[in-house]
Amino acid sequence: MRLSKLRVEQFKQFRSGIELDHLDPGLNLFTGPNEAGKSTLVAAIRAAFFERHRSSNVDDLRPWGESGVAPTVMLEFELDGRFYRLTKSFLARKRCELLIDGERFEGDDAEERIKDLLGFQQPSRGASKAEHWGIPGLLWIRQGDAQEIRPAVEHATDQLRGALERSLGEVAASGGDELISRVEALRLELLTAATGKPRGEFERALKQRDALSTQLAELDEQISRYRQRVDELARLRAEHQRDQREAPSRALRERLEAAEDQLRQAHERQRRLADERLRAGQIEARIRLLRERLESFAAQRLAVDERRQALTLSTQALASANAELIAWRGRLEQVDRARRLSRDQLRQARQQASRAQLTQRIERLDDELDQRQRRLVQVETAGQRARQLTELRGSNAIEASEVEALRAEQARLRELEIERRAAATLLDFTLDEHGRIELDGEALEGQGERRLLGPATLRLPGLGVLRIIPGGANLSSLGARHRELSELHAERLAKLGVDSLHRAEACLVEQRELDSEARALEATLAALAPAGVEALREECAARRQERETLIRTLAELTTEAREPALDIAAVEAEDERLDGELREVDQALRQAQLRASRAQVQCDIDERELATAQAALEAPERTARLDAGHREEAEANAELATQLARIEALERKLEADQPDIIAQDVERLKRSVQQHERRFAERREAMTRLEVELESLGAQGLEERRAELARDLAQLTRRCDELERRARALDLLLERLRDKRQRLTQRLQAPLVHHLERYLRLLLPEARLELDEGLAPVSLTRPGAHGVEHGDFDQLSFGAREQMGVISRLAYADLLKEAGRPTLLILDDALVHADESRLAQMKRVLFDAATRHQLLIFSCHPEAWADLGVAERRIPDLVHAGQGASTRY
Amino acid sequence: MIRLLHTADWQIGKPFGQFEPDEAVLLSEARFLAVERLAMLATEHQVDAVLVAGDVFDAQTVADKTLHRLFNALAGFPGPWVMIPGNHDAALAESVWRRAERLDALPANLHLCLRPEPLHLEAANLVVLPAPLTQRHTYQDLTDWFDLAATPEGALRIGLAHGSVEGILIEAIDSPNPIALDRADKARLDYLALGDWHGAKRIDARSWYAGTPEPDRFKANDAGRALLVELDAPGIEPRVTQLETGRYRWRQETRTLRVASDLDALLEWLGALGGDDVVALILEGSLDLAAHRRLEIALGQARGRARSLRVDTQALRLEPTVEDLDALAADGYVGEVIDELREQQGGSDGAVARDALALLAGLLDERREKRA
Repeated sequence: MRLSKLRVEQFKQFRSGIELDHLDPGLNLFTGPNEAGKSTLVAAIRAAFFERHRSSNVDDLRPWGESGVAPTVMLEFELDGRFYRLTKSFLARKRCELLIDGERFEGDDAEERIKDLLGFQQPSRGASKAEHWGIPGLLWIRQGDAQEIRPAVEHATDQLRGALERSLGEVAASGGDELISRVEALRLELLTAATGKPRGEFERALKQRDALSTQLAELDEQISRYRQRVDELARLRAEHQRDQREAPSRALRERLEAAEDQLRQAHERQRRLADERLRAGQIEARIRLLRERLESFAAQRLAVDERRQALTLSTQALASANAELIAWRGRLEQVDRARRLSRDQLRQARQQASRAQLTQRIERLDDELDQRQRRLVQVETAGQRARQLTELRGSNAIEASEVEALRAEQARLRELEIERRAAATLLDFTLDEHGRIELDGEALEGQGERRLLGPATLRLPGLGVLRIIPGGANLSSLGARHRELSELHAERLAKLGVDSLHRAEACLVEQRELDSEARALEATLAALAPAGVEALREECAARRQERETLIRTLAELTTEAREPALDIAAVEAEDERLDGELREVDQALRQAQLRASRAQVQCDIDERELATAQAALEAPERTARLDAGHREEAEANAELATQLARIEALERKLEADQPDIIAQDVERLKRSVQQHERRFAERREAMTRLEVELESLGAQGLEERRAELARDLAQLTRRCDELERRARALDLLLERLRDKRQRLTQRLQAPLVHHLERYLRLLLPEARLELDEGLAPVSLTRPGAHGVEHGDFDQLSFGAREQMGVISRLAYADLLKEAGRPTLLILDDALVHADESRLAQMKRVLFDAATRHQLLIFSCHPEAWADLGVAERRIPDLVHAGQGASTRY
Repeated sequence: MIRLLHTADWQIGKPFGQFEPDEAVLLSEARFLAVERLAMLATEHQVDAVLVAGDVFDAQTVADKTLHRLFNALAGFPGPWVMIPGNHDAALAESVWRRAERLDALPANLHLCLRPEPLHLEAANLVVLPAPLTQRHTYQDLTDWFDLAATPEGALRIGLAHGSVEGILIEAIDSPNPIALDRADKARLDYLALGDWHGAKRIDARSWYAGTPEPDRFKANDAGRALLVELDAPGIEPRVTQLETGRYRWRQETRTLRVASDLDALLEWLGALGGDDVVALILEGSLDLAAHRRLEIALGQARGRARSLRVDTQALRLEPTVEDLDALAADGYVGEVIDELREQQGGSDGAVARDALALLAGLLDERREKRA
């Protein structure tokens, strides 16, 4: 197919029209900036082919803001040696006209022809969509769509495959795909596509079968229960009849009665035995009493002997106790004497010791008294001196500070005097020998000088009086201050009672000496009498008194001192020992006394008891009672023997009876009878229950229902088997068909792969592009840095996918061309993501493709395509004159 | 002369699970119709009594409706019916018979022998010695007591029992409910009416199995009969006549298809099938696709005519010929698939391959017709 001319009018931004003429059969490059209308041209070509002229969904073809226009596209092209002109107008004037070598077709007819010619479809209504575009949709790459190849290929698969099959001739199965889809559909009726699990009718049948077989199992269970119950009923009836016939309960009852009778007799015997035993017990008790009495008679004689013997023993004990007592008394006296002696000695020793002590003490007191009295005298002397000092001190007390003030005042006065003298008016006079003047009453003669400290009157005899007043206030104020200070000084001296500073200083020195002495005295006093003089005096008095007391005590001591002195410690030890011994002996004596008195008491008791026993033994009625006792005992013994014989006989009988066993028999038989009767009743009840139950169950026609169910189940099972067989057959068939087809596809793809590789070699040497069954590129294999790389097509970079998209389309175009289909390639701003080297390779590819196909390339980068080997045509240059004027942007 | 109609094994309520529901219903129905025919035959031959030797019912718990329906079917013969329970309807503690009694379904002219006691039919002066089964299975001979049973002088002694005569029936070895082979002789019976064996069978001159009056399985053993027994006097051998009572012909047929004429013969045989035929057909051998189509058509037609036609084609192979393939226009890889499937028919999953092949052929055929 070769497009030679394109004219567009009233179409989007081309209001007045644009015309592309003399198109090259190979490469055509159209350039222009953005919005120049490149894509609009492409849209015009698409609209001319794809959109129905009658379509009302093509408002977007209208120039903006204009109504009542008829967007029109006219195309001229040559195909298979024939000339075609297609003119299509939309909206305001809906028309389609096709000229084929001068033959004219119009409207739908024209559109049908074009459609078949180019291999696309048109929508029955509405705007044309991608799925209708077929081969043109694949080969006409829209802006930004180059990398999106799969959908475009899918929409053209049939045509591509048709082209492939045509090239392969008889290899493909006629309608194989249709057959496969038919088998798939049939299989889908029974099995899910993905997992091959039963679905639809098959699944329903299987479920129903399972449900039925569950129901059947339940019913079988019911029937089995029913049969068991029937058997149970038969068994119960048989037992019931046997019981009625054989009446075993009656026999049991008779045996029970006999056993009860036996038991009663045994109980009677047991009661009698108990009575007899009681009687025997009574007799035995009486015999015991009788024997005791006889024994007591015998005991009386024995008692007298015993008493006598006891008396002898106690008398002996008394005698020995008394002897012991006497011995202990002697010992006591002895010890007592020794002790009295030692006491006396002890007293003497002690007095002696006291005397020595007292004497010592008095001596010491004498010393102390003497010492203190001496100190007292010293203290008193010191006290007197201190008083003297105080007196001295008190009369002329001069403070050191006062003396200091005096000194300061005197110094100041001196200074003032010097100042006054300096400021005073000097009256220097030298009188004549007889000249005499009187200054303030003082007569002055000769030569001299006077300092006038104040106004002065100078009498010049004969001459009058000169009144001299020294100048300057200073002198008078100095005089005033001198006066003041002199008065103050005099006052202070008077107060201190001294006449001069010198005297005051002398007084202060004297006073300090006195103070020093007083302090020394105070220290002496503190040493002699730390607690004060009174305390010292009291100490003396106390000692004197104590001394007198001690002297008196000493005088009172009776014993005389003697020589040699007794050793008091030895005397005391001896005394203590004797004291201990005395206590021990005394204790022993008291024990002996106790024993003696006890022995005496025992002796008395024994004597009395012996007397009593002898009295009893010698009582007059004793013999008669003894005889009677012997007689009674013999009688009782005889009676007991008879009784025991009776008991033995009864016991033997009871042993034979075994009443406990009989009681057990009775219990056992009683229970048996009860059980039997209960069982009988229960069985009757169970039978009734079963009968009722079976009647109602039987009415349900269980087995007939089961039969029906089994029949349905069998039928369903057959159905399931059939479906399964069918499913398996379909599975097998589908698998085989697909397998074969897969292999065929691989063979089919070979020519396409061949074309692809031609371009790929230019772009990526040694790379290989794999195709999927739909003929779309699916993965790329190429040598990489780490061996062969294999990657999904979708994982490639955008640029690479774009390039692959373009070369795939070129390969499809080659394939279609070989199959005699029209090919026209349009690239609208494709390959914008290619880097320089890839773009260079792509240009080689495109140039190569253009030797077989017509290519329309639209780009806004004219410089990028400068080396394509074809002159660019700028779209703005092609727009009809007046376009600009009518454009209202 | 005394005439008796001897029948057994009615198996009322029997399911026919292996059949389609509509067929099964008809086959069940046929059993009632057989009883009605028996009643008519009894009337027709003016018999003195109808002896039913057990297994009247196929199961103990049949629906009330079924019960009533059966006893109503007896109405065609007003004379005495004598019945014993068999192993399927044994007189257990609770049984179909008790229910029938409770439902008041038993007609007055029915003598139901639930206990081994002589039944004296005075009008005919014959005594029936019944051996009813009171358990489902028993291993003792319930006819023992016949030997010692006293009967009035001059009366016919007729035994009625259900079970396996020992030593005669191969299937009966070790089977329960045994009956001594010489029972008729030992018990001085004029006739022993037996049930349990579904075909009519003579044991000896006086002992017969009547068989079921309507066939119920694919077994060619003279099912579908009743016996007309004529007794002149005590001690004289009876005359036994077999009467046809069955309606449906049960057939099991195996055909091997090798050459074209085998198919022709089969088609002819199928063409002859009628509404009373119940057929199980097993096909073996191989067919080409054209023959397969012919067979399918013929089977379809036969199914429409026969009461039931079940065909087992597991062992049948499809061998498409070159002409078949041409006709199907199965070129390219589809042709390869056909070849593979054809070969695979001989393998382990041959049946699946055959089905797949048949399916493919069908689809291709369909396509061809569409194109044409």
